[in-house]
Amino acid sequence: MSFRSVLPAMFSACKPHLSTTVLLLLCIVTPAWGATPVLRVLAWPGYAETEVVQSFERQHGVRVEVTVITSDTSLWQKISARNKDYDVFAVNAAELQRYIASDLVLPLSTELIPNTGHQLARFRELAAIPGLVSGGKAYGIPFTYSEMGLIYDRKQIAAAPTTIAALWDPRYRGKVIAYDGGTHNFSLSAQSLRLKSPFRIEAADWPRVAKQLIAMRRNVLGYYSQPEESVQLFLRHKAALMFANYGMQQVHLLKAAGADIAYVIPKEGALAWLDCWVITRSTRDSALSHAWIDHMLGEQASRLLTERQGLASTLVEQADRRPGDRLLWLQPPEDTGRREKLWGRIRSGDPLVRVMAP
Amino acid sequence: MRFPIAWRLGLILVLIGVLGSGLTGYFAYQVSRDQLVKASEERLLTATRVLMRQVTVALKGTAADVRLVAQHPQMVRILRHTNPGFQALSEDNVALIFERMMTVHPEYFQIRLIEAANYGQERIRVDRGMGSILRIAGGELQEKGHYPYVFDALRLPPGAVYVSRASINHEVGAHAGEDRPSLQVAAPVHDSNDKAVGVVVINVDLHGLFVQLAADLPPELKLYLANSRGDFLIHPDPQRGFAFDRGQSALVQDEFPDTTVLLGDSRSRGDHVVTSGNPTAAPSEALVAAFVYQSLPGLEAEEEFILGLSQPLHSVLAESNRLAADTLGIVLSFSALAILLAVFLARALSRPLHQIVLEVRRFSADGSIGALPVARSDEIGELAVSIEHMETQIHKQIEDLHEQQDRLDHLASHDSLTGLPNRRLFLDRLDQALARARRQETQLALLFIDLDNFKTINDTHGHIAGDAVLQEVARRLRLQLRETDTAARIGGDEFIILIEGACDDASIDSIMGKVQAALSLPIPYQDIELESGGSIGVARYPQDGTTASPLIAAADQSMYRCKTTKNCTARAIP
Repeated sequence: MSFRSVLPAMFSACKPHLSTTVLLLLCIVTPAWGATPVLRVLAWPGYAETEVVQSFERQHGVRVEVTVITSDTSLWQKISARNKDYDVFAVNAAELQRYIASDLVLPLSTELIPNTGHQLARFRELAAIPGLVSGGKAYGIPFTYSEMGLIYDRKQIAAAPTTIAALWDPRYRGKVIAYDGGTHNFSLSAQSLRLKSPFRIEAADWPRVAKQLIAMRRNVLGYYSQPEESVQLFLRHKAALMFANYGMQQVHLLKAAGADIAYVIPKEGALAWLDCWVITRSTRDSALSHAWIDHMLGEQASRLLTERQGLASTLVEQADRRPGDRLLWLQPPEDTGRREKLWGRIRSGDPLVRVMAP
Repeated sequence: MRFPIAWRLGLILVLIGVLGSGLTGYFAYQVSRDQLVKASEERLLTATRVLMRQVTVALKGTAADVRLVAQHPQMVRILRHTNPGFQALSEDNVALIFERMMTVHPEYFQIRLIEAANYGQERIRVDRGMGSILRIAGGELQEKGHYPYVFDALRLPPGAVYVSRASINHEVGAHAGEDRPSLQVAAPVHDSNDKAVGVVVINVDLHGLFVQLAADLPPELKLYLANSRGDFLIHPDPQRGFAFDRGQSALVQDEFPDTTVLLGDSRSRGDHVVTSGNPTAAPSEALVAAFVYQSLPGLEAEEEFILGLSQPLHSVLAESNRLAADTLGIVLSFSALAILLAVFLARALSRPLHQIVLEVRRFSADGSIGALPVARSDEIGELAVSIEHMETQIHKQIEDLHEQQDRLDHLASHDSLTGLPNRRLFLDRLDQALARARRQETQLALLFIDLDNFKTINDTHGHIAGDAVLQEVARRLRLQLRETDTAARIGGDEFIILIEGACDDASIDSIMGKVQAALSLPIPYQDIELESGGSIGVARYPQDGTTASPLIAAADQSMYRCKTTKNCTARAIP
């Protein structure tokens, strides 16, 4: 169950649920082979399934130590401590920038990762994904992602909504469910207003972006924070449209509950987070670390990621996905604090004049 | 190392006594401790139930308040603007009622009248401020249509009351209630057409409500409150309450795994659980906790509550520690008693045994039979009787042995036929007599007697007759002698007599004469008389020799002379 929070700093606050126990157990029971090289991996729950680790160990005659991380903060603490304890880790693209800036990660040699050739075209063009390339060098290889599309009730909405403006559509007044998060909602509002970048709201644009959010507030039934909460709201109040902050996870939950829904990426593009594999500056074996990334892009790892965790791999297009769907990889917004502060007022029901008050 | 049986027996008795009372005490303690813990758990559970009941009552009281206000005709009039002239006055009056209610109920954060139209515009709102109650008006009033306490309450039939999830109130401008754990209790306002035109909402200070109710509990009891998903709302560690609001997770079922039974679906759900909490907790942090699940019947509640109280295990066990001290005291007393009894018993057993031992030792030392505890009727008495019997037997056997020894000694020193001392005894006596005579410078004499005709008698009448002669001779010799004199048979028909004391010729002659006369008398044998007689020789000390051999030889020679010369007086002997 993926769960993405509002704040960029919390993008990966809680990663797909998984057999953490199994992995930890593996770390414990794996005998300490004498001179066998060891690859030290920091991965989010579900990224390094036992079978995937075992097949890598067999193929390369090495031992893999997987440490499971559950928050961006602890990941940053582990890597920025410069204890040279890890070789390779997974981090989201928006977070990656500070690792590059602090010189904690190694530029990658993509020729050592032949499986990138099997990735979908949009994940092969690293330069087109914000945050992965710096100074002409690539630092991260996309591994998995989730986007925030629109979920709609096919009984109430015959034709799939094509734009996020649907969230403001008065036909669905009191039938729209939105996410209770300032950062994403401001991006959403900026998108609907067709601002240049949803992550860079110009000073002059703030009032109309806020006004747009008040308009959305007046059109929605309510807001949710947790995926389960969204599903309850959607079903109990027979909602027509929902902004899916948790993406496919909510789709799965709703379908499991028997809802006749569909999922769509609006033409403005869906906000999306992207996790990448990167190699630490202090790796003991750069070639082996590259081999790990290549292995993670293999068929087995990608298949298990989708089967067990419901997460999208970068190899195959997700079902429900149309060619040409645009994903807007999340970037640190211009001013998270201001977005959250204004959002708190909008959410509380203040009129615009009070929202924009200093 | 020597270890008397009494000691060993005493030690065993002490061990048995101490072990017995110790084990009894231990198990009695265990059972009582379990009962005490169980009783404590029951008390804790009861306290939790009572508290939950109070919470329910308080919530129902709030529900009654909100329902009463919502059903007041004034509300519809205000929301419908039925009387524009008095609109402001009506709103002021209602606000005044809200203020009074806030004063009476310190656990209320906020009371509002919200209209269904205008995106849930607040119409009348009274907030709790810092130490005061504030009437909020004008631009500060907000649109609340997108909150469940508005859109869910509006759907309810008249008279129903909505209770929201417990949450941290992030509504900006909520004054004292802002960012505080809150519960919204709301009731719809219906117009005459049964159309919901607004809601009355009371924000309840969740923490204030529960803490106020729990205030009377002993300080060692800690309060827990969780929602029906298990998220902690109130926890002794404030960091664990409303963790979900901070994107974290702190669940009652993680900290108290047994509470899972309270979280299932309604069919399999229990209504209470008593648990010892996280088994991995340090012993000092071990606790007993009771959790009660309570639904809120009659209320349209978004979720139900799980209320818990915990008590440190050490305080639960304090009573059982006192019990342990008491039990220990009893065990020690009984052990001491067991020791005393053991000493007494050991002594009672060892005294007669000791007496027997002393008696046996004395018997083996001097053979005398002393006092034994034969009067006892137990095994020790039997032992004493057996030992006495054995002593008696041994005593008798030793006496027989002595008797036999005497007889053997006699046989070895006497002639078996005549009963006279034999040659060996005679020589012995002679040596003693010589020694005495030398020391006392006295005299002694030996008479050597050889029977006449003995061979003839033997040949004529047989050995039996010879033996009879010898026996008769011996008898006669004994009769003639003084007590101090010794007669002995030293050969076939040879006798010798040792005479101590006066050894002058006359005395010797007198003795010789008497002996001669006695021997010359015929000896009756069967129906005949045998004629024997004897030849007697004399030797004197110191005249004829100073030691045995020369004296005997001299006597022998004298006898031979007597036999041949028939001059057998002492004087005739040179």
